[in-house]
Amino acid sequence: MTGIIFDIKEMAVHDGPGIRTTVFLKGCPLRCRWCHNPEGLSPSVQLMYKNTRCKNCKSCQKKCDHTECSPFGRCIHACPENCLEISGKKVSAKELADELKKSAAVLGNDFGGFTFSGGEPLFQHRFLLELIDELKDHHLCIETSGYADSKIFESVINKLDLVIMDIKLADSELHKKYTGVSNGQIIKNFEILQNSGKAYIIRTPLIPGITDTKDNLDAIKELIGNGKWEKLPYNTMAGAKYKMMGIDFELKMPQE
Amino acid sequence: MSDFSKLYSYILNKEHHEHRHFVDWNLAEEYSSKKLSPIERMSDRFTRLCREEHAVILKNEQIVFLRTVANLPKIFTDGEWEEIRKKHYIHGPGLMCNLSPNYYDTISQGLLKKREDADEYGKKAIDNVIALSDKYLEEAKKQGRNDLVEVLTQVPRYPARNFREALQFFRILHFGLWLEGNYQNTIGRFDKNVYPYLKADMDSGVHTCESALELLEDFFLSFNKDSDLYVGVQQGDNGQSMMLGGIDENGNDTFNLLSELCLRASCNNKMIDPKINLRVSKSTPVERYTMATKLTKAGLGFPQYSNDDVVIPALEKMGYSHSDAANYTVAACWEFIIPGVGTDVVNISAMSYPKAVDTALHGGLEKANSYEEFFALVKEEIQKECDSICRRINNLWFLPSPFMRVLMDCDIYNGGKYNNFGIHGTGISTAADSLAAIKKYVFEEKSIGKADLIRAIDENFENTPELLHKLRFEAPKLGNNDDFVDSIATELLDAFSDALKGKTNCRGGIYRAGTGSAMYYLWHADRIGASADGRRAKEPFGANYSVSLFAKVKGPVSVIASMTKQHFENAMNGGPLTLEFHQSIFADDDGVEKVGLLVKSFIDRGGHQLQLNTVNLDKMLDAQKHPENHRQLIVRVWGWSAYFVELDKEYQDHVIARQAYTV
Repeated sequence: MTGIIFDIKEMAVHDGPGIRTTVFLKGCPLRCRWCHNPEGLSPSVQLMYKNTRCKNCKSCQKKCDHTECSPFGRCIHACPENCLEISGKKVSAKELADELKKSAAVLGNDFGGFTFSGGEPLFQHRFLLELIDELKDHHLCIETSGYADSKIFESVINKLDLVIMDIKLADSELHKKYTGVSNGQIIKNFEILQNSGKAYIIRTPLIPGITDTKDNLDAIKELIGNGKWEKLPYNTMAGAKYKMMGIDFELKMPQE
Repeated sequence: MSDFSKLYSYILNKEHHEHRHFVDWNLAEEYSSKKLSPIERMSDRFTRLCREEHAVILKNEQIVFLRTVANLPKIFTDGEWEEIRKKHYIHGPGLMCNLSPNYYDTISQGLLKKREDADEYGKKAIDNVIALSDKYLEEAKKQGRNDLVEVLTQVPRYPARNFREALQFFRILHFGLWLEGNYQNTIGRFDKNVYPYLKADMDSGVHTCESALELLEDFFLSFNKDSDLYVGVQQGDNGQSMMLGGIDENGNDTFNLLSELCLRASCNNKMIDPKINLRVSKSTPVERYTMATKLTKAGLGFPQYSNDDVVIPALEKMGYSHSDAANYTVAACWEFIIPGVGTDVVNISAMSYPKAVDTALHGGLEKANSYEEFFALVKEEIQKECDSICRRINNLWFLPSPFMRVLMDCDIYNGGKYNNFGIHGTGISTAADSLAAIKKYVFEEKSIGKADLIRAIDENFENTPELLHKLRFEAPKLGNNDDFVDSIATELLDAFSDALKGKTNCRGGIYRAGTGSAMYYLWHADRIGASADGRRAKEPFGANYSVSLFAKVKGPVSVIASMTKQHFENAMNGGPLTLEFHQSIFADDDGVEKVGLLVKSFIDRGGHQLQLNTVNLDKMLDAQKHPENHRQLIVRVWGWSAYFVELDKEYQDHVIARQAYTV
C-alpha cells in the first residue's frame, strides 16, 4: 500500500544505535506546541517556501500544466533558486523499502539500520507494518509519541528491535493543553511496552517552563521507574521551519 | 599557566617573529658574475644562511631551532632563470618538493656517519648543519640549560639515544631542509620510525605516557613556528604531512602507543601542523576510528584516512615493489609517495573533466546520434588533453638540493627508484552530473533540445530559469547511490586512467591518474562557462573526489555508496572523498563513535581515501565579517588545513559553499 513520507535522513545519530537512516512519516494526531517538524503534522502534500533565497523573479507564477503544481497555483519546477519544494511524497512500502535497502550495505553490522519517525509513524500503521515486513532483515527502530490504539501499538512494537517513545508530560490536563490530546492512551501503551520485553528508551523533550519543571520530571521518573530515560534539550531552530510552511509558530515560552 | 601554555601562547601570538630579520644579499648577481653552477649556488646560499642564522632558545622550550632569517635571497638573475625555463620544464618554483626524506635513518646513524658516504656538497651541507647546531649548544650552555646541552652534544653529530634526542634531531633535519629552500617537506611515517626510542624510554622509566605526550606537544608546536614562511598556493599549504599507522612489509599493523599519542597531541595543540594522516584497513579495530574521530571533532580537518587494502595493491600494479608500496606515505596533500626512494612528481599537472565535456558539447553534441556517440567524443577530448599535457612535460629539471640529497636513499638529481608523474583530475562530479543530464533529457526523454541546451549554457541560463531548475535541482546527481550517474563517474575515471596508460614520461616513469583536484577546482572552473548540470558560470567545482557543491544528496551514506563504486586500482595518484559534518554531530560520544563507524564502513567497502571536516557555517560567516575574532578558526582547503582568516576570499567562499552537503 501507499504511504506518505516527508523526509529520509541518513546518519541520524540520535535515532538509535549504529549508522542509521531515519524515515519520516507524514501526519500526526498530536499538536505539540514546540513541534520541530511542523511539516510532519498534516498527512497531505504541502508546499514549502524558503523566502530567504527568493529574488522575486516571479518564475513560479508563470502558468504550468504540471498536475503536482495545480493545488498550489504556483509552478514548483521553475524556481532558479529552488525556493519552492513540496513536502510529502507518496510512495509504496515496497518502493520505499527497495530505496532504503540500496544503501543498507553502508550501514554496516554494528547495529546500523532504519528508524521510523514522523510525524507519528503509527498514524500510518498499515503502511508502516508493510514497510517493517519488507525491511525485517535489518535493525529496526521507531520514534513514537505512543499515541495510538493499543492493538496497533503492540502489533508494531513486536516487530521492532528498539522502541524510542516520548513521555512529554505526566499530568493529563497539561498534556492535553500542550499537545492537544490527553496522555491516558500513551501511558497505557507505555505499560504494554514495559511488559513486552522489548528494548526501549523513554524520551522527554525539555521545553522551558512546560516539560522541564521539577514536578513533571519527578512524576515521569516515578512513572517509568528504572527504564532508560533521555532528556532532550529543545531545538531552537523550529521557528524557521514554520515560516516555510506558512504557519504561525505559536510556542511562547512562559517566561518570555 | 603551565610552562608549555606560556610557550604555546607566545608562538600562537606570533611573538617569536621578533627574532626574525631579512637579509638583502644580492646573491644572484654575485653568482652570475662568478658563473657558479646551480649546485654551487644552492650550496653557497645554504652555507651563508646557516652562518646568518643565530641561536634562539625560547623560554620553556624543549625542542629548539627557530628560523631567524625570514627570506631566501634569489640565486639566479631573472635573465638566467628565463634561460633555464626556456630549456627545461620547470615544476612550480623549480625546487625539489613533495619528497619523503628518510630522516629516520639519519637519526639512527648521526650526521657524522652520513657524512662518510655523502658527496662533496652533501659533506658541506652536513658541516653547516652541525655548525649551526653548535651555536644552539653554546646558547644552551650560556642559558644554563643542561638538559639541552646534553641533547645537543649528542645530536645531530651522533645517533639519537632516546625519544627526546630523536625529536630534536628530526627538528634539526627538517629545519635544514626548509632553510635549503626545499618545500612541501613531508614528515613520513613518524610513529613507525620513532616508536622504538619512545618504547626504550618507557621501558627504562624515563618517560610515562603523560611526559611523552608533553614532549610531543612541544615537538608538534615546532612545526608551527616558521611555517608562515613556507607559503604554497595559500598560507597553510606547506606539506607538513605526517603518516600514522599502516602495515609494514610483512603485513603487521604498525599502529602503536606513539601513534595514539600523536592523535592526542594534535587534538590538544589544535594547530594546522603537522597534518595528520592515518593508514587503515579492513582489520583496523573500531576503537581506533573512535580515537581518530575525536581528532576530527577538534575541527582541524584531519586525520585524513588512506586505505591500505586498496592503495598498496594499486601501487604494486603500477610497478612499485611490495615492500615499497607497503611503506607508502602521502605528499603535501594526499598523493601517495614512497619514503626515501621515490622521486615521483605527484602533482605535475591536472586534467579537467568538465572542460572535456564542454568541448564535446560545443563541438559535437548536435551531430551525436546517441549518448554513446556523445560520450565517445568526451573520451576523445580526455585523451587529447592527456596527450597534450604529457607532450608539454619534457626535459624536467629541478634545482639540486645537497642536503635533501643526504636525507634521501637515492640519487634525486638523476631520478630515484620511482619517477612517475601524477596528474590530477578536476571536477569529476560536475562532469558526471552534466553527462547524466544530457543522457537523460537530451537522448532518453528528448525533453531538452540539443541547440536549446547549448544556447542556455552559453547564456548562463539567464533566460531559462525552468531549464536551470531542472538541470540543477531535478537532474540525477552523483552522491545519491544512483547507478545512472555513478556509472558515468566510473566511466570518466576509467577514461582518464586509460588515456594515460602506456605513456612513458621524460624520466622513464609512467603517468599516474589521480582523484585529487588541488587548487584546480577554482582555476579550471574559470576556464569554462556554465555547464549542463545547472552550474552557473564562475561557480567552482567540488574539491578533489567530491560531489558537486550544490547537488542535493540524500546524505553521507549514499555519498559513500556512490563514491566507492569506481575503479581506483587504475587511478591511484591520490585524492580523497570529502564529507562535511556540522559540529553538533560530535556533541556526545555516541556521535563520535558513529562517525567513526561511517569511516570504517567507507574503508570496508573499498574506498581509497577519505577526509572529514567539522564545520560551523555561522562561525565562518562571522569570521568573514570580523576576522579579528576568529584568528584560530581552522578549515580544510583542498589537501591541507589552514586558518580561515588567512585565506583569500575565493577559497573562503568555497569552504562555505561546501556546506550544501553538510550533515
